[in-house]
Amino acid sequence: MLKKGVISKALLLAVLLLVLASGLAIPTCRPAQGIPRGWSGVSITDEALFLGSMQGKLVAIDKSSRQRLWPDVPFEKKQSGGFGCAQGSGSVAIYGTPAATSELVYLTGYNGKIYAVNVETGALRWVYPREDELDPIVGGPVVAGGRVYFGSSDGKLYALDATTGDRLWIFESEGKIWGTPAVNGETLYIGSFDKKLYALNVADGSLKWQFQMEGAVVATPLVYDDTVYSGSFDRYLYALNEADGSLRWKYQAGNWFWSLPLADDGVIYAASVDGKVHALKAESGEKVAVFDLESPISSSPVLADGSIIVAVEAGQVYSLNINPRQKKPLVNLEDEIYAPLAVSDGVIYIHSADDVLYAVDARSGATLWSLELESE
Amino acid sequence: MIGEIWNLIILSPMINVLIVVSGALFNNFGLAILVLTIIVRGVTIPLTLRQLRSTKAMQELQPKMTELQKKYGKDKQKLAQEQMRMYKESGVNPAGCLLPMLVQMPIWIALFQSIIRVLAVIPEDFLKLSGHLYASWPQVFSLVPLNSHFLWLDLAVPDKYLLLPILVGGSMWLQQKMVTPKTGDPKQQAQSQMMLWVMPLMFAFITLQFPSGLALYWVLSNVISIALQYFITGGWGGLTAQAATKPAGADKKYLKRLTTAEGKEPDYAATEADIGADVGADIAEVTPKEGAGPGRYQPGLRAMKRHPKKSKHPKRR
Repeated sequence: MLKKGVISKALLLAVLLLVLASGLAIPTCRPAQGIPRGWSGVSITDEALFLGSMQGKLVAIDKSSRQRLWPDVPFEKKQSGGFGCAQGSGSVAIYGTPAATSELVYLTGYNGKIYAVNVETGALRWVYPREDELDPIVGGPVVAGGRVYFGSSDGKLYALDATTGDRLWIFESEGKIWGTPAVNGETLYIGSFDKKLYALNVADGSLKWQFQMEGAVVATPLVYDDTVYSGSFDRYLYALNEADGSLRWKYQAGNWFWSLPLADDGVIYAASVDGKVHALKAESGEKVAVFDLESPISSSPVLADGSIIVAVEAGQVYSLNINPRQKKPLVNLEDEIYAPLAVSDGVIYIHSADDVLYAVDARSGATLWSLELESE
Repeated sequence: MIGEIWNLIILSPMINVLIVVSGALFNNFGLAILVLTIIVRGVTIPLTLRQLRSTKAMQELQPKMTELQKKYGKDKQKLAQEQMRMYKESGVNPAGCLLPMLVQMPIWIALFQSIIRVLAVIPEDFLKLSGHLYASWPQVFSLVPLNSHFLWLDLAVPDKYLLLPILVGGSMWLQQKMVTPKTGDPKQQAQSQMMLWVMPLMFAFITLQFPSGLALYWVLSNVISIALQYFITGGWGGLTAQAATKPAGADKKYLKRLTTAEGKEPDYAATEADIGADVGADIAEVTPKEGAGPGRYQPGLRAMKRHPKKSKHPKRR
């Protein structure tokens, strides 16, 4: 029948369009959202590189031989069942860069757990919390003075005993914490989605001061020359007095600050998601130079051989200088880059969004080696 | 390229407007979604009205459809031609019923993409939000990420209490039921019943997997549809057992042509009665409203007067 045919076809088309457009060819057992993959950076010790792969594994690589120190350590999360979906487990996204000491490597997972793994063997020493899970952890851990610190999406900053994993104290903010804390002496600095930067006593988590911004804070603060530099989603980079949190100056960029700023020779280098690296006088905030790299920057830059090495999301890596002013393309990895960069002995380590670890010469830009983490 | 156009024309404006509206409504993203729903349904109201008229006309043409099937049942080609002619002359476009839904589909997709970005669910999605914010609207930078809590819901994830899937499915069933035409054809009846259940169940199932912010849009949108249908078509339609079918003005044009082709003078009342009688039990159950004037079906009585031998319900004489 004409009417039946037309309506049936139109309805079928509508349903098909809906399903296809939603990216759900077949109803699945997971919520229709993006898949968290992670963007762990590389932690470097004298002999080894540690990073979290996008398969949810802690990878340990010998720096000289490029061989695995031990088999990758997998971390799994529980997946809830219901509605005909069986309970199961899946890999954990790892966003934070691991923190390595001579004895243990600490790794935070998007499943809301922090793990401590033996550096020599890869054996799990402890996990916190032992039973349940916290809300997703996006920032990385920081180890200092026998304590490990990290923030969670539950808005809390946790301090644990680095050896045993026992909880020492908690500080509660009013928004999610996605950033990695910074520790300088007896003070810990952490930003929150509640638009505040907090300065806490590392001994007990008590509040030293707090600074109210106009936007959420994800970027790890930089402490340099008695000043705390912290970028916010309100597009400002704030320079605050380390002693009392009073404002020294602020500078506006074109978009969010997501990555950790750098300091060198009295100049602050702050990369923004606006695709520019802003070089400012540390003392006054006066603009020294702005390098337009034409792609958002969420990866934290590093300093190598007197140059600022920056990777943009589109995959291009640049070497920047202000004296003489120079913007030199080092290499184009043709792969998206979100993970913070790491440097050691003139070699830049870059973990790409395709889960490949690249070693790039900081001077020449030559790719010394690359390792596909997934295939191992 | 298509992605850039999509972002420029649909996604970025929606994200920025949702953020600003949310800020104006006490940082309540749920209220912003409800306002968006009202805006979208308001903008598409001409399409909705057209759809409702089409639906109503289709319901009214149902008896004539059955008549045609009886008349040309064996000649499929002729039947198709006559049906097409009937739709054309009555100004009905069967596919037009779906236009409002199709128009809203890009809105659903954009709303889904907006939700996963502005609520900071997955870091990768949230980071992409920065590229959508309007540099000239400083307040949007201060407002993100938005608060995901609304009533009992976390708008970023499916409703764990299952209330929202029930509301989505239930409201869609109600809306569909109101516009499902009554028919005497068992096949058509079965198909109508299938469609009546398939779409609500499918949307309820999808609601189990999508962020509840999207389902919030669907629920309010369905409620708006139900209200419009009630006030514009004048009642609960297919929900009530005694749904009256009266011929639209356009039908008379068709009836005139039909009878003229048969070499008779048009006699609307009699022709309507013929149809009423031949439709059989289903239409015979339709009770004319009290005080129904000319033009309303009074199937049993008129059919007996004109074609007593054709009546299939001798007991009703």
